[in-house]
Amino acid sequence: MSRLTAWLAPKTVVRAHCDLPCGVYDPEQARIEAESTYKIIEKMGGNADPAFTTRAIHIKEERADLVKHHLDVLWHDYFKPEHLDKVPNLHELFWNATKQVSKVKASTDLADAQKLLEMIDEIDAAWKATGGPEKTRVAGRPG
Amino acid sequence: MLPAIAPGDWLLVDPTTRRWPRRGSIVVFREPSTEELAVKRVAGRPGDTVPFADGFLRLADDEAWLLSDAPEADAAAAGYGPPVDSRRYGPVPVELLVGRIWFRYAPLSRLGLVR
Repeated sequence: MSRLTAWLAPKTVVRAHCDLPCGVYDPEQARIEAESTYKIIEKMGGNADPAFTTRAIHIKEERADLVKHHLDVLWHDYFKPEHLDKVPNLHELFWNATKQVSKVKASTDLADAQKLLEMIDEIDAAWKATGGPEKTRVAGRPG
Repeated sequence: MLPAIAPGDWLLVDPTTRRWPRRGSIVVFREPSTEELAVKRVAGRPGDTVPFADGFLRLADDEAWLLSDAPEADAAAAGYGPPVDSRRYGPVPVELLVGRIWFRYAPLSRLGLVR
């Protein structure tokens, strides 16, 4: 580039932003993080050491945030308006599940974590009912 | 934003704009939440009513509705997801406005006012 063109060239780049999603979705991601919160609550019950409890609470918050993130991605990016025909209560499922995550954050009751797992399983059923496994995962994993 | 703006275009921006320019103008602004510099077309100005979700939304005194030119189907055909614009992040307040794009000075074959 000559000095003139270098001088003329813009210094700032702007984007016309489009998403390029990878298109891989699976409620399993949310389920695994939710299982972590379950196990942490279980372990907290058997250990009264304050240092352990502090760490456990911190990690439970972190895992719970990841559950929310994975649920949000499914809700916003995987599910489409046409899926409402198959799963009419879709929005309710997600609203309740993400609210349940907040509950698990504040709770040390295993039943709350268990309920969250069940709610994620309902979302998993919705994902399967809308063809999620075939449409979003890469085929060819060993069974 | 094809065909109005193509990747690699060199553009002049009027940074003196303090209010949302008229509908149809292309603006540079900071994307809400990401703060990234982006270009979109003004589709609604303060006080306008714009379609949103299943209803309508009235824009506040400082807000604009900014949309991509690409129809969703074209973006999908090109391998992109839905355009990220006001349909995603809602109305954009005027403090995020950087300027109005008005002129393209390169490539020379496309020299001229940006519409």
